[in-house]
Amino acid sequence: MSERPAIYRTAGLTKSYGTGPTAVHALRGVDLTVHAGELLVLLGPSGSGKSTLLNILGGLDSATSGQAWFEDTEITALDADGLTEYRRRSIGFVFQFYNLIAALTARENVQLITDIAEDPMAPEAALALVGLEGRMDHFPAQLSGGEQQRVAIARAIAKRPQVLLCDEPTGALDSETGIRVLTALETVNREVGTTVMIITHNAVIADMADEVVHFADGAIASHTSNPRRRPPGELSW
Amino acid sequence: MNALPPLTRKLLRDLWRLRGQALAIALVMAAGVGMAVMSYGMMRSLDAARSAYYEGYNLAQVWVPLRRAPDSLARELAEVPGVAGVETRLSGAATLDLPGIAEPVLARLHSLPVRLNRAVLRSGRMPRAEHPNEVIVSEAFAKAARLAPGDRLPALVYGKRIELVLVGTAISPEHVYAVAPGQIFPDNRRFGIIWMAREPLAAALDMRDGFNEVLLRLAPGASEQDVIRRADRISAAFGPAGAYGRDLDISNRFLTSEIDQLRTMVRILPPIFLLVSAFLLNILLARLIDTEREVIGLLKAFGYRSAPIAWHYAQLALLLSLGGVALGWALGLWLGRGVTGIYLDYFAFPALTFSAGADIYLGSAAMALAAALAGAVSAVWRAQRLTPAEAMRPPAPARYSSGPLSSRLVRLLPDEPSRMILRGFFRRPLRTIASVLGLAMALALYVASASSTDNVERLIQLVFERGQRADLALSFTEPRDGRVRRELALLPGVQRAEPYRAIAAELIHGPHREREAVLGLPRGSALMRIVALDGTTIEPPPGGALISSQLARKLDIAAGDRLEVQVTEGQRQRFSLPITAVVDVPLGASLVIERGALNRLLREGDVATGAYLMTDPQQAPALFARLKQTPLVASVSVAANAVRGIRETIAESMGIVTLFNTLFAMLIVVGVTYTGARISLSERARDLASMRVLGFRKGEAGFVLVGEQALLALAALPLGLVLGMALSRYIASSFSSDMFMIPAAVSARTLAEGVLVVAVAAAATAVLVRRSADRLDLVRALKTRE
Repeated sequence: MSERPAIYRTAGLTKSYGTGPTAVHALRGVDLTVHAGELLVLLGPSGSGKSTLLNILGGLDSATSGQAWFEDTEITALDADGLTEYRRRSIGFVFQFYNLIAALTARENVQLITDIAEDPMAPEAALALVGLEGRMDHFPAQLSGGEQQRVAIARAIAKRPQVLLCDEPTGALDSETGIRVLTALETVNREVGTTVMIITHNAVIADMADEVVHFADGAIASHTSNPRRRPPGELSW
Repeated sequence: MNALPPLTRKLLRDLWRLRGQALAIALVMAAGVGMAVMSYGMMRSLDAARSAYYEGYNLAQVWVPLRRAPDSLARELAEVPGVAGVETRLSGAATLDLPGIAEPVLARLHSLPVRLNRAVLRSGRMPRAEHPNEVIVSEAFAKAARLAPGDRLPALVYGKRIELVLVGTAISPEHVYAVAPGQIFPDNRRFGIIWMAREPLAAALDMRDGFNEVLLRLAPGASEQDVIRRADRISAAFGPAGAYGRDLDISNRFLTSEIDQLRTMVRILPPIFLLVSAFLLNILLARLIDTEREVIGLLKAFGYRSAPIAWHYAQLALLLSLGGVALGWALGLWLGRGVTGIYLDYFAFPALTFSAGADIYLGSAAMALAAALAGAVSAVWRAQRLTPAEAMRPPAPARYSSGPLSSRLVRLLPDEPSRMILRGFFRRPLRTIASVLGLAMALALYVASASSTDNVERLIQLVFERGQRADLALSFTEPRDGRVRRELALLPGVQRAEPYRAIAAELIHGPHREREAVLGLPRGSALMRIVALDGTTIEPPPGGALISSQLARKLDIAAGDRLEVQVTEGQRQRFSLPITAVVDVPLGASLVIERGALNRLLREGDVATGAYLMTDPQQAPALFARLKQTPLVASVSVAANAVRGIRETIAESMGIVTLFNTLFAMLIVVGVTYTGARISLSERARDLASMRVLGFRKGEAGFVLVGEQALLALAALPLGLVLGMALSRYIASSFSSDMFMIPAAVSARTLAEGVLVVAVAAAATAVLVRRSADRLDLVRALKTRE
């Protein structure tokens, strides 16, 4: 694995809210390297800093100190417009609450992104990749939670991002539906080669990853590599 | 704060959090309340000032104009049942030659009043008996013509040249609104009232042993109609038999018509504002309750009953409207005082103070609160009906479906953001319709208000450019032979002269009787043509008469009927003539026949009582100088001055009204757009944040918000223009009186300005809200469910 180029590097990344004795330190100096094409799982309790890291890497939040690079770009040095362009070109997001646009059908939710992407997949192809070819003209209100999350994944991958950032993608789903969503993420990682970072509370999910990072109290507690990835279908919780 | 119950604290915090929208709604409501307070208060203040003035200075209730009568007639009139007071006086007309004013200035002369129609001295002093030439003049005339005590006024009275000396200025309840005969707008520079001692006036009028007008006061409960009928019978031998009451007094008629116009405005404007504010309040509360479903569920789960929860939200509506009412009261008082100032420029009252009674304030508040509750009731009802379980369940994603029309339209659109906008437009049809209606009403308000100037321009065009094309209209001191035309043609600068014949008459059709002038125009007249409201020119037909539709209505007469004419001057002939056409005449003559035909009916030969002149403007000063010296001429009216007078009056009064209505229209647009955009931002916050996270730029995400408001405004434009034209037509017709008819003629420019006003106000507001969209917290939007 180590021969792959690094897609993310961070050095001494910190994030605090407030100042003085009441300051909250969400990140206390994180040094992490993520390689292109990896499937990485971030584990840790609430407030351990994993979401903060993902938000900074995704260009949604700024760091207090330290640096983060996406390939050769220092994202901690970008302004708001630069971050927007970075998200637009390189990043796909999947959220716990799907964040689909209620006024658009499944196909249109995907098209929303393909319209502004440089070299997108056909929306239909992206939806087929997550097994939703039969539900393309349904509105979010007409889809189940798992289906909505798979539309969100299709929307995230349709622009062929280099990285897919997933914050608790199965957090709102039952285990069977959750596995179907994880399968979709694994397929994208394997077949398209997209780097995938998944935040979860659920330690079982770590088995499907190449790399597992444990967070505690704003810092990396451990960083391990799995010798073998288990297919999501073999997982259960 | 801690002493307050938690729900009250929540209420205050909610109100603070929603302050922008609350303020927008309260302002729209305040505009409605303010208009109501101003209009009703002004109606009442004018009415009260008028009554106090009329009573305090003993305005006559019946005028009996005469040719010349002896004192015995006064005694006879005093004995008529119902007559409580009699005063005889002398009245006449004069032309003045004032330095600095080229045209002859027309004045109405009255002998100094004793008990009735008393004048209020405003400056200087009353004339002294030992100085027969001393006069006082109406205050507005003195101001406009720059006259001051001590000035000498060379006057031509009844063919005699006399020099009057001004010693004071005054106002009178008889001339609250002073216009020259035949005019509808005041021209204070060229028309004034002059009071002078009776003896010298009698000498000037050759009326040393009599009088030519009687003023009557009536006993309480007396029938004015009976008194008028008897007065006419008693005075038949002495005059034109034309006794009339206050309803036909020109000054009082204008005052009444002004009050009626206020009544029309108050029926239209405040309801528009209150409707819009009720709708805005409704969407604000509905949204608040939507976002607080879980709170409501929680409160209910903990044992709160439905009523206090409903009351909690109703209080928000009430507090907000109380703010609107308080602002509205202040606005009403301020507007009322401002408008009072404007009225004092037109109506000469000794005192006019704006005062709306407590009932008006309370009534307007009740109206506003009723509108607020009407707006709140459906939203509050939903809050109190929610069951705890239902309320605590996360709301399903907003339901969108593909109706046949919307889906076909949506497919035509090029991109997803546009589809989001269009689906939002169709998703809540009632809200969309109400928003569109609100914006359309704002546009209609602007168009209707601004078009009043268009209507007056059209009136000027019809009356002066197409109808009365004469530069000057003269009236003679007494009927002249028709050959006067040749004499007139010899005056300097006169290019064409057309004599006319006008007589005072009583028109009779069945039980209906109306006093009106009959105008005889030369055949093929080029200088005075009858132009109908629709712009067509109508020639008086040989052997028949044209009648204005207003007069025809009063006489209940139609084309083809015969009209009886009882002449009330000169030899008092009586004849009948066929009505050949009923015409919507905007302003001026009501009954017109061909002059030759009129003269034949009167059996008096070729006679004229005035003439229309076309003149060379270069020679106007010479012409005016000659006219000032000519005893033949009783009055001169200059078309250009009349047009200028109308334009100035309208520009001044309508300018301010239009400015306010423009502001009010913008206020509605801002209220509707701001509330709509804030609500939309709240509903779409997650969508917009998601779009931003997914890489959409600020402008691209903001487009959804701004585009939605733009679409609403766009949909409102055609409707607003149509409503505006209809409202303009309605206002024009309700402002038309039996004295004039206002054409409805909205110009393209007014329509374009209206569109611009609405577009600018909507765009500015939407862009303001877009800035909040730019500051959305992206991370939080992703973590929250809705």
